[in-house]
Amino acid sequence: MVAAAMAAVNSQAQWVQYPTAGIPRTKDGKPNLSAPAPRTQDGKPDLTGIWDVLHNRPCPPEGCADMWIPQEFLDIGWSLKGGLPYQPWAAAIVKQRMAENRFTDPNAHCLPTGIVRMYTTPLYRKIIQTPGLVVILNEREVTYRQIFTDGRPLPVDPQPSWTGYSTGKWEGDTLVVQTSGFRDGLWLDANGSPLTESARIRERIRRVNFGTLEVEITVDDSKAYTSPWTVKLTQLLKADTDLLDYYCVENEKDGPHLVAK
Amino acid sequence: MLPRIILVSALLAAGPASAQWFHVTTPGIPRTPDGKPNLTAPTPRGPDGKPLLNGIWQMNGKYLQNIAADMKPEDVPYQPWAEQLFQARQNGALGKTDPAARCIPGMPKLDALPYPFKIIETPGMVMMLFEGFTTFRQIFTDGRELPKDPNPTWFGYSVGKWEGDDWVVNTIGIKESTWLDNAGRPHSDALHLIERFQRRDFGHMDILLTIDDPKAYTKPWTVKEDLRLIPDTELLEYVCVENEKDYGHLVGK
Repeated sequence: MVAAAMAAVNSQAQWVQYPTAGIPRTKDGKPNLSAPAPRTQDGKPDLTGIWDVLHNRPCPPEGCADMWIPQEFLDIGWSLKGGLPYQPWAAAIVKQRMAENRFTDPNAHCLPTGIVRMYTTPLYRKIIQTPGLVVILNEREVTYRQIFTDGRPLPVDPQPSWTGYSTGKWEGDTLVVQTSGFRDGLWLDANGSPLTESARIRERIRRVNFGTLEVEITVDDSKAYTSPWTVKLTQLLKADTDLLDYYCVENEKDGPHLVAK
Repeated sequence: MLPRIILVSALLAAGPASAQWFHVTTPGIPRTPDGKPNLTAPTPRGPDGKPLLNGIWQMNGKYLQNIAADMKPEDVPYQPWAEQLFQARQNGALGKTDPAARCIPGMPKLDALPYPFKIIETPGMVMMLFEGFTTFRQIFTDGRELPKDPNPTWFGYSVGKWEGDDWVVNTIGIKESTWLDNAGRPHSDALHLIERFQRRDFGHMDILLTIDDPKAYTKPWTVKEDLRLIPDTELLEYVCVENEKDYGHLVGK
């Protein structure tokens, strides 16, 4: 991996040590992450918390990297039998991007990750659930995402953006988020799986227990894929800490040196 | 008069037009009979009687260029080295050394960006979501103390509390390389910012900003920045590094 995102990393240690309010604890004071999911006053699950990726990728013998990426960071379709259902041009561009050592990866040039890669980036994100609005604060580049839960419709023809425009509603205990309005040129993983501006993404977010979030992502982008596809990502709660500021662009020296193989 | 400042920072060049094309009716805004927001209605208050700060706000743009815009130049109480550095930064001579030129605005410039920001009050923490740079501040209101010797960050560490109708935010731990304004006023690692948010009525708020930095200024000094509420819209996405062409043309070490 030659991504600037990898090179510019701070120490993984979170110096902000402050007990998170409202966490159930075992007798020895440790967070009880298998306790039931918390709920807001209206009875809905509360997704609020600081979340990390599930580290499902084995570390090399010399030890885990500071930026310990999950499988889906490299290949968002890693868990799918047969992989992602690429359209022929999409399969070709993935092959080309990997052959070129991924040097055009927006992530390597400190550009926004988009909403799918945000879940596979091994930096923390903080979800804050408020009435009418869910906010996701990202450690990476100190950016945020808004998910409107006040009943508004998706805009008909929004200005295309990296993050898109998101609305959410509850179906039972699952927050179902619909997002559209993407710009062309987003990558869904480091292999370069593309996303086009015609994409719609659905996330089904469920807090399984206090310490675990399940995010089922369905990508519906018929320009790039022959059929919609769904992957499930797991996020783990990080207790008693807070976000640091992480800037890819701070003292960034890699970009101009990135070249094709 | 201050020397004329040449504005060559990426901060200014990369901004989208200020036209907001999201038209979303903001709930809870008092309106005149013709449906227009009544921005001179009284300050809204929560169940505890405190002013509510929620909303999308826009800062008077002049304070980004010159944080001391309303002061006589000789009234800024510089330490000698700080005045020398300020003078050296005139005319864009050290533009490259402003972190904002590398797409990191830092505090206190962030508050003064001319793009809207949204305040969201939640139990124990107030978020400020900024359209500029699509970035955020967290201000903790759960009673925690400021850290004793924090690792410096671009936005520092902030805690807020109510004093009467003023919401008072104390911030320390800001990296010393950030600039107070585009004019290039410096600060040291001892910078302590005190922001007093005063919502005057529904549509208007002031921030009384005190710069308490004995290493860079001989005494604390305070400026008053004014903001207006931007109703019936939403924040747009702003990506500073996207197609960024300015930095290579900036000069300085």
